[in-house]
Parts: sequence; structure tokens; C-alpha cells
Amino acid sequence: MPINIIVGVKWVPNTTVVNVDSTTGTLIREGVPSIINPHDLNGVEFALRLKEKYGGAVTAVAMSPPAARSGLEFLIGMGVDRGVLITDRAFAAADTFATSYVLAKAVEMLFPVDLLIFGQETIDSSTSHIGAQVSSWLNIPYVYYVTDAQVMEDNHRLRVERSLERQTEIYDLPMPCTTVVSMKSNTPRPVTMQNKFRAKLQKPIEIWTNEVLKLDTSRTGLRGSPTVVSRSVPTPSVPRKKLMFDGREKPTEAAKWLLDSLSKEGIA
Amino acid sequence: MSKPVQQLPWPVVLKKEECKGVMIYAECFGGVVNEVSLQLLTPAKKIAGKLGVETTIVMFGDKISELAQEPFSYGADRVILVDDPKLVTYYPNVFGDVLVQLVKREKPELVLVAGTLRGREMAPYVANVLGTGITADCTGFDVDEATRDVLQIRPPFGATMLAHIKTPKHRPQMATVRPNVFQLPARDETRKGEVIVETGISVRPPSIELVSSQEVKKDEVAIEKAHVLVSGGKGIGSRDGFKLVEELAYALGGVVAGSRKAVDAGWVTHERQVGQTGKTVKPLLYIAVGISGSAQHTFGIREAKVVAAINIDPDAPVFESADYCILGDYRKIMPAIIDEIRRSKLVRPADEFKDPPGKNLPS
Repeated sequence: MPINIIVGVKWVPNTTVVNVDSTTGTLIREGVPSIINPHDLNGVEFALRLKEKYGGAVTAVAMSPPAARSGLEFLIGMGVDRGVLITDRAFAAADTFATSYVLAKAVEMLFPVDLLIFGQETIDSSTSHIGAQVSSWLNIPYVYYVTDAQVMEDNHRLRVERSLERQTEIYDLPMPCTTVVSMKSNTPRPVTMQNKFRAKLQKPIEIWTNEVLKLDTSRTGLRGSPTVVSRSVPTPSVPRKKLMFDGREKPTEAAKWLLDSLSKEGIA
Repeated sequence: MSKPVQQLPWPVVLKKEECKGVMIYAECFGGVVNEVSLQLLTPAKKIAGKLGVETTIVMFGDKISELAQEPFSYGADRVILVDDPKLVTYYPNVFGDVLVQLVKREKPELVLVAGTLRGREMAPYVANVLGTGITADCTGFDVDEATRDVLQIRPPFGATMLAHIKTPKHRPQMATVRPNVFQLPARDETRKGEVIVETGISVRPPSIELVSSQEVKKDEVAIEKAHVLVSGGKGIGSRDGFKLVEELAYALGGVVAGSRKAVDAGWVTHERQVGQTGKTVKPLLYIAVGISGSAQHTFGIREAKVVAAINIDPDAPVFESADYCILGDYRKIMPAIIDEIRRSKLVRPADEFKDPPGKNLPS
């Protein structure tokens, strides 16, 4: 049974050095190289494997600045069928609530859909919110930390395996449903030349602005966000002694120095 | 093809002025109240004190009434219990809807949920159904007493920054809280209270089904509980090299941990990962071996009492976050430390005996 899959992805700054706008407290993206959030690539790989097994189509959706087009082209290179880039000034600086609202509306326009897939979290904000929030707008069931899935063809249900701190669990979900894929669940495939060529030739990335989505802009972007960043400060460092011993030529002395120091601390 | 979804109406939003008090959802699975939920009483009591309100613990499940006195021993002002056979199995939206109903009745201004895997899964759903915002994985709080806004502090952008987030217009304010950042309050068994048993909550039938649940057997000490951690990073270079990390951990009576890169390389399991995308740990001694010391990593060891670092690179940032820094090749330094421990017959902490080398490595 072919399944229609949507994978949500985010275009994120690829650096630990970030700049924050001191007046709005939001991230300054200019001048920082960006990538598709690595944990979302696990979601894309997950989707592609399901498509290979059951047939169907995979659409990648990103709500990001225009530059994310190259990220979606990368996903086409991995084998994704269609890329949709939702981009509009009216959607900018949204918190997860307002972001999930726009994404849910876009998913609605892409129906019929059987399965929504998200990565576990992003490397820039690490909230893990979007999967649950989009599911709540669409009123569909969801499960996080999914490591494996199979389609139960007889009754249009998805059987998923997931792991928690101390359990592994198996759930059956009626489709449409959402799975949030565990960070370590698979190894994303590389881009193939053939698919890359397809991306360049067909230019299949669709750009959806608010002229397409037609949303009330009081519910999107910064205006539609219940939470605001009031300020961002550098993480204060923990005071440490920073005592150095050069053990390159004297490993035994270094070992003695460390153990003596630890015993003075009352440890070891 | 699946049928189109039926959308929920725009949520009914609680008014700011009608909301008072701090509510904590306490996880009760496997016959115990999760300790990390009770840790939340520490920031909650502080916030509630500044706002002049009470702290209420809500707990739900099946046959959990005997657990309901527990939060009083740790300082809760009120406990609300929903004990219903239909809550025997956790489903994120079913448990979430119970919390939604309790919030609508009690109208708290702040709802805190421990950032366990289930908590991180359920809480954003609850916030959305309530039409309010939520902040993930908070590590600190502050209160603006004039506006009653709670500043929710968290480390986005690779933990180099701490964002202070507020929810100025919507109520309740909601946050998940990073486990093990806050101390469990001191236990006072004489402190008792009257449990409010809530019976008017409707539990909807789940649309999904738990087919099976298997306990993963774990007999080694979890890194959050360990007193001594020896942690390896990219600089270890190989699975074989990690055996030395194991040996030093064993010699010190500690357990093994790793950086994200060591986990990605498959040398150590994800549940032993220290750092922002891993765990916050608070051992007496943390030894970082071959770990460069990114902000994400050192964010997870802020609570360690003493940090030692072994690295070949004199400019490794980890040396800025360590008390005792050894410059050198771990292949020479670690065997020297192990020899020295054996020679001097240093005593190992008694509670950390359990892990012979090889046990913590992925098979």
C-alpha cells in the first residue's frame, strides 16, 4: 500500500558561534553558514526507507528563510520527491507555537497524507516541540523517539517501535499520524549524482509565501508567538582551578600529580 | 489514502488575571513518583514564594493513591490525585488531556513538567491545546514580580548562550525542566497533607494502542547517579582506545561516559552521553579524556565538583573548564594513572563497585 509521507525539516546555522540580536533576542542568521538540521536527516532517511518498502511519495517541508532552498535541493538529491519551502516575512521570528500553526496549515494543503515525520530536535534550539504541536493542530495521534516502523496493510495502521529511558515499546497508530524519529535510529544516505541532477534539472522546490497559505498574520511569526526571548546572555562559566601539568614527557609524574591533587580534594 | 483530518477549533485561552499558583505534573510510572519530578519543587517553591502563591503537585495513573503523600514530604502545598483504571497505560495525548482539564479547573499561572522523554513528548501537546506557549529544557527561573511573568531560562544555540524567555500575555506559562539541574528538596516524612482526589476528569479512549513494552535490563550505574565519571571523546580515536577509558573508570570505582562525538562513533551508548543533547551529570569527579570541550559538552558538567582533563592539544577549550589539566597522550597518561592507583592501593568509593570493564561498551 503506497503511503504519502511529509517530512518536516529545519534550516539551521551550522556553528556553535552564534550572534543574537540584542533588541529582539532572536538569532541573527546573516553570515552564518546553514545546513539542514542533522537530526531531520534521520527523519528523511526514515521516510525514504518506508517509501522504498511500500511505495508512495515523500515531500519535505521547511519553514525557513529563502536560502533554505539549497537545503531542500540536497534532500531531493537524497531521493525526496518534492520540496516545499514556506517562506514569508510574516512567519519570521516565530516561537514553536506559531511555527507549528503554519506547518499544520501547510500540511493540510498537502492532504491526503498518511504519515508526518519530524526529527527529534534541532541543533539550534533543541526543543522537541514541533512534532507534538503540529499533531495537536491536526488532531492526529503521535509518538516520539521512534526507531522503526512498518505499515500494517490490512487495517491502515502503522506499527512503530520506540525507546524510552528504560523501555522499548511497540505501538499501533491509525494513519494519518505523526512519528518523531529518534536521533540515533539510522544513518542518512548520501546524495546521489543522479538525484542531484534531477534536483537541478526539474527545480522542484515550491515556494509558498502567505499568498499561498493565506493565514491571519496575527497568528504567525513574532506576533503569533506566546513566548518571547526577553534577553540572551552568554552562559556564565563555572569557576575552575585550571591547573596545568605537562605530562608529554613525564606521564608517571602527571599521574602522581593528579592523584595527589585528588586526594587533597578529598576524592580518591 | 487517509481521510482528511478534523481540525480542533482555536483553543480557548485562559486569562492572565484569573490564573494563580504553580502546578507541577509529577510522573508516576512503575509504582514510584519520579524523583526528577520532585526536583521541580525546588525552583517551584522559590517562584511561588516570590509570587505569594501555593505549589500544587498533580499526579495521575492507576492505583497510585499510596504515592500521594510523597510530594508533601518534599514541600508541596497541595496534591491533586487522579486515580483511574483508564490511566493504566501512558499515551501522550490521553495523559496530556487529563493535564489540560486540571489546568482549566485549577487555573495555575505556571505549569512545570520534568523534561524526561515522556515529559518532553507530552508537554508541548498540552501547551498547544491550551493555546499557550512552552519553553523546553529549562535550567533556571526568575520572576518579574511587577508583571508576575516567570523568566524561563534555557540554553539554546549550542549552550553558548542562556536565553531568558517569557510568556507575557498567555497563561499558564509552561516549561519542561532539565532533569538533575535542581536538587531534590530535603525529605521531611513528618510533613503531611490532605490529598485532593479529583474524580470529575474524563479520560478519553486512546486512538493508539500500546502493543508491548519491554523493560531494558540495566544493571550498571546510570551516569546521572555516578560519583566518578571517566568520559571519552573524539580524541580517543577508536573502540579499542575506549577500553582504556573503561579500565580507568574501573580502577577509580567509577563509570564510563562519553561526548557526542564518541557516541556518534559508536564507542559508547547514547544514554551515557554527557552534554546539552545528552545528560547533565553531577559527579564528585569528572575526568574528560580526549574531549575538546565544546560549550555543549561542558554545559553538562557544570555541577561536577572536580573536573580533570587529559588532552594532547594545549589549546583544547576543555582546559578552560577543568581544575586539573594534563597535557599529553592519553595512551601514556591513563596507564600511568591506573598503575599508580594499583600501586598505592587507593580505596574505591564503596557504592561504585559494580562495573567491570567491558560492561558499558556497546556490543
